Amino acid sequence: MTTASRLRVPIKPGFFTVPDDPNALPKFLATRCESCSEYFYPRRAICAQCLSEQTVDVELDGRGTLYSYTFVHIPLFGSTNIEHMDGYGVGQIDLPEGPRIQAPLAGKQAEFKIGQQLVAELDTLREDGGRDLVIVRFRPVEAAR
Amino acid sequence: MKDVAVLGVGMYRFGMWSDVTNATMARAAGMGALRDAGLSFRDMQAAYVGHMFAPVMTGVRVMKEFGLTGLPVQHIENASATGSAAFREACLAVAHGVYDVVMVLGFDKMTAMIQQNAQGTALENMEDAILPAAFFALWATRRMHERGMKPEHLARIGAKNFNNGALNPMSQRQADKPVTVEKVLGSRMVAWPLTTMMSCPIGDGAACAIVGRADLAKQLRPDRPVVKVVASTLQSERYARGHLFQGPVVGPAQMTIDSSRAVYEESGLGPKDLDLVQVHDAFAIEELEYYELLGLCEEGAAEACIERGEFELGGRVPVSTDGGLIARGHPGGPTGLAQIWETTLQLRGEAGKRQVENARVGLCHMMGGGSVCVIHILARD
Repeated sequence: MTTASRLRVPIKPGFFTVPDDPNALPKFLATRCESCSEYFYPRRAICAQCLSEQTVDVELDGRGTLYSYTFVHIPLFGSTNIEHMDGYGVGQIDLPEGPRIQAPLAGKQAEFKIGQQLVAELDTLREDGGRDLVIVRFRPVEAAR
Repeated sequence: MKDVAVLGVGMYRFGMWSDVTNATMARAAGMGALRDAGLSFRDMQAAYVGHMFAPVMTGVRVMKEFGLTGLPVQHIENASATGSAAFREACLAVAHGVYDVVMVLGFDKMTAMIQQNAQGTALENMEDAILPAAFFALWATRRMHERGMKPEHLARIGAKNFNNGALNPMSQRQADKPVTVEKVLGSRMVAWPLTTMMSCPIGDGAACAIVGRADLAKQLRPDRPVVKVVASTLQSERYARGHLFQGPVVGPAQMTIDSSRAVYEESGLGPKDLDLVQVHDAFAIEELEYYELLGLCEEGAAEACIERGEFELGGRVPVSTDGGLIARGHPGGPTGLAQIWETTLQLRGEAGKRQVENARVGLCHMMGGGSVCVIHILARD
C-alpha cells in the first residue's frame, strides 16, 4: 500500500490524475468530441475521426476490460521498485467509452485473462527529491483462475 | 510506377560492428551498388539517405565519402521503414522524370545508440514501459485467444528465418547447424510468448540501391534481366475505434490491407502472382499476421499454412528468403534496402543457395513505427 504521507507526482503531467486520497482511483485525462461523440486518450485538440475542433476535456474512470496482455521478462526501466525487478505485465485495456490504453499490469502472468475486468492504480516507480514518482497501471479486479 | 528499374544493389553485412563507422559501412555498400550497376558516383544526379539513430547532418556528411560533386542530398526518416521510404522517394523522382539515375543509401549503428542509452536509462514517460517486444507480444496473445495459435507456430517462423539466413552471406545471424522449432522455443523469453529467436537482433549495417530509368538498365548491363519497380505505396493510419495513440505503435491491421490493395491495383498483379515476399518480421507474430493481411493466405489460415511449410524456401510462396529482420538483421535505416537487395538478386537469379526457382515477381513490405506501411512490388522485365 502507498503511504499517504509522501507527495505523489506523475512521471509526466497531463495523462492521469493523482488523487490526494490514497484510496481513490486515478482517472484518465481524455477528450470527447462534441461533434461525433468519440472519446480519445490521451487528450487532443482536434477529433481524429471527424476532424472537428469542438472537443472538450473529460476525465474517464480507470476501469476497463483486458483486450490482450503479455509479461515482459526485463526489469522496468527507471524503476527502483523491487516489485519490477523480475519483469512486469503489460496490457491493452479497453475503457467502456472507447479508448484503448496500453499500460503495465499488476500481478503475474497466470493472473491475466483476456476479457477480465481491471481497475487502474498508481504505482511508485522511484523516489525523486522526497516525492514518489508514479505511473498508472491496471490490476485485475479478480485474479484469473 | 512507369519505367523505373533497380540498376544496382550493395550491402555491408549487418552485425554488431561497434568499431566500424557509419561512413565505412555506407561507403562499402554504396561502392558495391555502383559497381553492380556499372556506374560511377559522378553519374548520380541525386541521393536519398536514410538513418534513424545518427545525429542531424549525418547523411550529408557520409555522402562526402563518395566525393563532392554538388548533387542534391535529401534525408528521409520513417522509423523502421526509413530505407523503404527513401527508396520510394527515389522511384517517384525517376518515374516523374526529375532524374535519370539516383542513389538510395541507408545505414545505422544501433550499437552506438545502446552505448549512449546505457549511461542514462530511465523511464521518462509511461509509454516507454511498452517495449516493441511487449507491443507485438500483445498481438500474439490476442491471436492465441482468437485463432488458437500456438507458440510453436511462431517458433517455426523463427526457425525458417534463421535457416534462410544461413544461406545468405549478408545475414547478421549465421546458424552453424539447422535451427529447430525446439531451439527457438527454448531461447530466452523476452515478452511472453516471444523469445529472442522469434525477435530481430539489434545491429549495425548499410545497404544501397541505384535507381534509374528502366531503359538504362538494359544499356548498362545487357547481360542480365532488368528488375523493374512496378508499384509503390506509403500509407499512414486511418482512425478506427481502439486506435492506440501511445507507445511504439505499428499500425492497425487495416493499414497493411489497404497498402497491399494499392500496390496490387497499381501493378495489375495479385498475391497469387508473387514468387517471393519480404515483410517487417521484427517479431515472428508480425510475419504470421502479414501472411493474411497481404493476401498470401485466407484470414485465419496462417497457422495451417505454416504447418504445411507454404512460406519456406521451396514452398508455395517463400517469405523472408534472406532471413528477414529476425536473422538478416534490422539496424533501422538500411533494413528496407536490404529487402530490395534480396529481391533484386532473386529476380536476376543471383541468390545462390536460397534462389527461388524462376522468380519473376517479389513484394517488399515494411512498417515504420508511429506508424506507416511501405510496400513495393519488383518484377523481372
